[in-house]
Amino acid sequence: MATGTDTGPGTDTAGGFGQVSRTVGVVFRYLLLAATMFGIVTLAVLLVYVANDAIQPLTADPGWYLTFFVTLVLPTGVAGAVLARRNPAALRLGAGVVAILAVSLLFSGGVAMVFVDIVSPILWLTYLLSLAVGFAGVVAIERFDRRLPFLARFGLSAAVLAVALFVLPGIIWRSPVFPTDGLIVGLTLGGVTAALVGRGAAARRGRRAGLAVGGLVLVAILAGTMAGPAVGVDSVPAAVLLSVAFVPTGAYAAGAAIDRPQDRTGLGFAGVVLGGVVVGAVAVDALGFAGPQSWVNWGFLTNAHSGTAANAGLYPAIGGSILLMATVALLSFPLGVGAAVYLEEYAPRNRFTRFIDVNISNLAGVPSVVYGLLGLGVFVTYLGQPTGTVLIGGATLALLILPIVIISSREAIRGVPDDLRQASYGMGATRWQTVKNVVLPRAFPGILTGTILALGRAIGETAPLIMIGAPNVLFSLPTELSSKVSAMPLQVYAWASLFASEDFYTKAVPAGVVVLLVVLLSMNSIAIVLRNRYEDEG
Amino acid sequence: MTRTTASSVSRRRFLAGLGATGLAGLAGCTQSGPTVGGSDGLSGTVDIAGSSTVFPLATAMAERFEGQYSGVEINLQSTGSGGGFANHFCPGQTDFNNASRPIKEQEQGQCQDNGVTPVELKVATDALTVVVNNDADWVDAVTVEELETIWSAETTPETWADVRDEWPDEPLELYGPTDASGTYDYFIEAILGEEGGHRQDYSATEQDRTIVQGVEGSANAMGYLGFAYYTENSDAVKALGIDDGDGPVKPSLETAQAGEYTPLARPLFTYPARESLAKTQVATFARYWIANATNRDIVADEVGYVPLNSDEQTAQLKTLESAIQAAND
Amino acid sequence: MSTDDLESDLTRRTENAPQELLTRSFFFLCAVLSIVTTVSIVVLLTTEAAKFFTITAPLMGVEGATASVVDFLTGTDWVINAGEFGVLPLVSATLMITIGSAVIALPLGVATAIYLSEYASARARSMLKPALEVLAGVPTVVYGFFALIYITPALEVVLPSIGTFNMLSASIVVGIMIIPMVASISEDAMSAVPDELRQAGYGMGATKFDVSTGIVVPAALSGIFSSFILALSRAIGETMAVTIAAGAQAKLLNPLNPASYLEGALPMTAAMVNLLTGDITGGGLAYRSLFAIGLTLFVITLVMNIVSDLVAQHYREEY
Repeated sequence: MATGTDTGPGTDTAGGFGQVSRTVGVVFRYLLLAATMFGIVTLAVLLVYVANDAIQPLTADPGWYLTFFVTLVLPTGVAGAVLARRNPAALRLGAGVVAILAVSLLFSGGVAMVFVDIVSPILWLTYLLSLAVGFAGVVAIERFDRRLPFLARFGLSAAVLAVALFVLPGIIWRSPVFPTDGLIVGLTLGGVTAALVGRGAAARRGRRAGLAVGGLVLVAILAGTMAGPAVGVDSVPAAVLLSVAFVPTGAYAAGAAIDRPQDRTGLGFAGVVLGGVVVGAVAVDALGFAGPQSWVNWGFLTNAHSGTAANAGLYPAIGGSILLMATVALLSFPLGVGAAVYLEEYAPRNRFTRFIDVNISNLAGVPSVVYGLLGLGVFVTYLGQPTGTVLIGGATLALLILPIVIISSREAIRGVPDDLRQASYGMGATRWQTVKNVVLPRAFPGILTGTILALGRAIGETAPLIMIGAPNVLFSLPTELSSKVSAMPLQVYAWASLFASEDFYTKAVPAGVVVLLVVLLSMNSIAIVLRNRYEDEG
Repeated sequence: MTRTTASSVSRRRFLAGLGATGLAGLAGCTQSGPTVGGSDGLSGTVDIAGSSTVFPLATAMAERFEGQYSGVEINLQSTGSGGGFANHFCPGQTDFNNASRPIKEQEQGQCQDNGVTPVELKVATDALTVVVNNDADWVDAVTVEELETIWSAETTPETWADVRDEWPDEPLELYGPTDASGTYDYFIEAILGEEGGHRQDYSATEQDRTIVQGVEGSANAMGYLGFAYYTENSDAVKALGIDDGDGPVKPSLETAQAGEYTPLARPLFTYPARESLAKTQVATFARYWIANATNRDIVADEVGYVPLNSDEQTAQLKTLESAIQAAND
Repeated sequence: MSTDDLESDLTRRTENAPQELLTRSFFFLCAVLSIVTTVSIVVLLTTEAAKFFTITAPLMGVEGATASVVDFLTGTDWVINAGEFGVLPLVSATLMITIGSAVIALPLGVATAIYLSEYASARARSMLKPALEVLAGVPTVVYGFFALIYITPALEVVLPSIGTFNMLSASIVVGIMIIPMVASISEDAMSAVPDELRQAGYGMGATKFDVSTGIVVPAALSGIFSSFILALSRAIGETMAVTIAAGAQAKLLNPLNPASYLEGALPMTAAMVNLLTGDITGGGLAYRSLFAIGLTLFVITLVMNIVSDLVAQHYREEY
């Protein structure tokens, strides 16, 4: 722990110890700092190199740079400097708003991709309605808490959920009329956003205000969805953009403005930044300055692979990565947390538990290639599943990150103070009740952070996917669990090693690397922000 | 007190929600339910795996096929010829296996055990190219025997002069593919013979472009690689003519297509499974591939291999058609 | 782990309610899954490797070419086409990567940990720790490309005789990759050292340097050692970075000779990837050697983990 007080080098203690050399301490301190910075600086340099290759900033018109300097950099710098001196908290708020907008835009791109090309909104609505009915049924059954024994209730709930999952969708699917795609997405996603915003408003201004705000937000999102095509944005992406990016950011800004009126100038800073970007973009368009001939452009993100490097893109690979992540999260989260709960809450301290411990730390160190072999041997050869599908890929990657999820969940659970557990037991709660109501809620942020970091690792893994037969090149997005799936690192690896054209190697690969890194760094930052927030609170 | 407010609020909300849905319905914001099987045209999946050498060619064909038949999903994976046969094709998981060498007996056996019948189709020719540095003006062509001497494990010459007296007394720097590569296998088969074996003290690499870089960087370097990488970098390195007894022949589309560039003209194959050819989309794609196998723009300019000549194409089409017919019986 | 007798006493009455049994079994199954995974890995690798070795091949009903265990473990030539399967060149290459990355990561990691735990202000820590996590979050493929495309050309300027594929750039990137592991685990270990020990040192007039190196590091030694082993087993198992950057030709090199780092060689993990994606005969002897290498790798990492666990147990200081 940093003790804060510098009791060390340089103090000329009286008499008995003589003159203490200052140099060793100072040199040591700077050596340590240099060592710490070595890896970070090297990585930063490499990132600059790869960004340069991908975005090619030197090919832009000087006028382009000048315009953006005048509209964006200069005002931001001035505003930032002024705020930093007067009101640093406001500056942090403003920067936070900009960052949230950027990350949520990224996220909404992924979600839009899901609704445009992977899951049809009608299918989504069907399953949503069925699940809603199912859960309503389960809640209703729970009301009979006193009249039915536990096993009966459990069996009944399972039956209700099974009907909801397997029978109901087929019935709803046959309905002759559905809302349009944009409306479906707007209602479902926008409804969730509106509910959250309304809750925030209700917490601050009372229930009626909450309902009013929530209703208004929903209407606004729906209006935007319908108005989208008029501005050139399809209704489904418009709905996603509004409900995932713009409204949450606006709500965050509004909430902060209400809570901390003294920091309202921070919002002005955010306005300066965003306004600068918009004005700058309009200006370079009007003045006709050419931007950098970046390989990371809209075409790159929305095209599939092509033989000519200039037309090649990452779209199916990005979609594949998203689907894989969803599958991996669904598989590894419950299993990993379950194992951690067992080891921390239920397991007696005997040899068997120690054996599991050693086992898990050993699995964390097994090479990813061996996991690929495992996936190949067990899922493909032994169970006879088709190769390279979302399910197999997701299962193999889930096995890969399971030890990591278990280890970080255990740390989070261990962080819950024992007194809380004792208090719960003292009041007569059973183990499961304690776990459900005391331990897990408190450990949840830590578990979430660990899972997000583990998912980040899974996104970047290539070797297991190669082994289980995931295709290197796909032309369309996977649409169900049994579709073949590619992933971003696989596609980039294919570009680097399998095509003779130099352009793939020198331009497309860095562009792919940049996209992959942007996704990963956003995931990492979300995890870090989450952890910081809950560490401060907890 | 609160209870009435709450229920009146919820009743209000309910009415409002009902009204909204009604409005939405009236405003025509609805669509009809999903119709079953609405797409006309080809649909289905085609799974392709196999050699990394044939992979770019298969991808180019698939890209163009997808442009025409967007309902078909084509998936391509580079697994290596052997890995493709063992893990994907013979177990019946893929429809096509690309190979840079003919199928081996062992692999035939495995496929047969699983009820998979491979149909051999030649799709292109790879003119393996021997390259030297642009400044190596002492050599323009090399005989097959000299090649054997340079690369064989039995005679491992250290300098150029050890091979031919007129050549300079400089150390030989050799670059080539690794022993897991089909190019390596073919080189042994064509030049060295199974008994001779390939020398091990050379710079082996997985990536052909590294061979180009290596040869480009040193005046005394020699390497061999696939034609695609040579054509992409033809100003960086110099290709040697190969003398198989009839005079030196430089590698080019014309010489390879005409069959003059021997023995380093390597045939490239794809093996559709006869059982898969019963599927319309697979058969259509196979026909498309062979039909375009003579197309210079795709095969030579974009990918870098030697297209089939029309006689070869006719022969392959015949094999394919009889296989499709057998599959549909 | 719930060792509290108090807790067991308090929950004994409700332990056998169906709800409790259900949830307990679910969690137990989740934990057992990890054992199932290990067992599957071991069974898979051993059965396939058994088809490879002469001694065990008849048990698996395999006729045809096989390799002898002794030759495998002691042979110095790895030439697939000639049927020579000596694993030593692969092991030496893996060893080189491990040593190379250890030279970079272990000192830098411990230094980082000391800085973060002893010297850095809270603000510096809050910026440096996330930055280190970013280091750990970069995918291994990307590190491989960095090594091949940027680091090797940079090294060529300083060391002109370096090959395009060389062990040095691969070791550098693997080292950078595992610095965060060493740093964070060592830092946790150092943070766990009670402040009283430090204050005692300061009270006796020791400098910060003395306290950090003479008191904190020795007290946290078992944790630091565990971090070393963990990071090194990650380095051993690193696949894509070395596949892309280290080369593809199996050579027996001397891991202790610095000059051999300028050449390329074939580590075990890269050999496995190349075997699976190359053009070798599927299902043949060469293909099965893949599993033999995998088994060797698994055994090595298992032994390292067990050793680390034992040493940590032995030297752990209870505070």
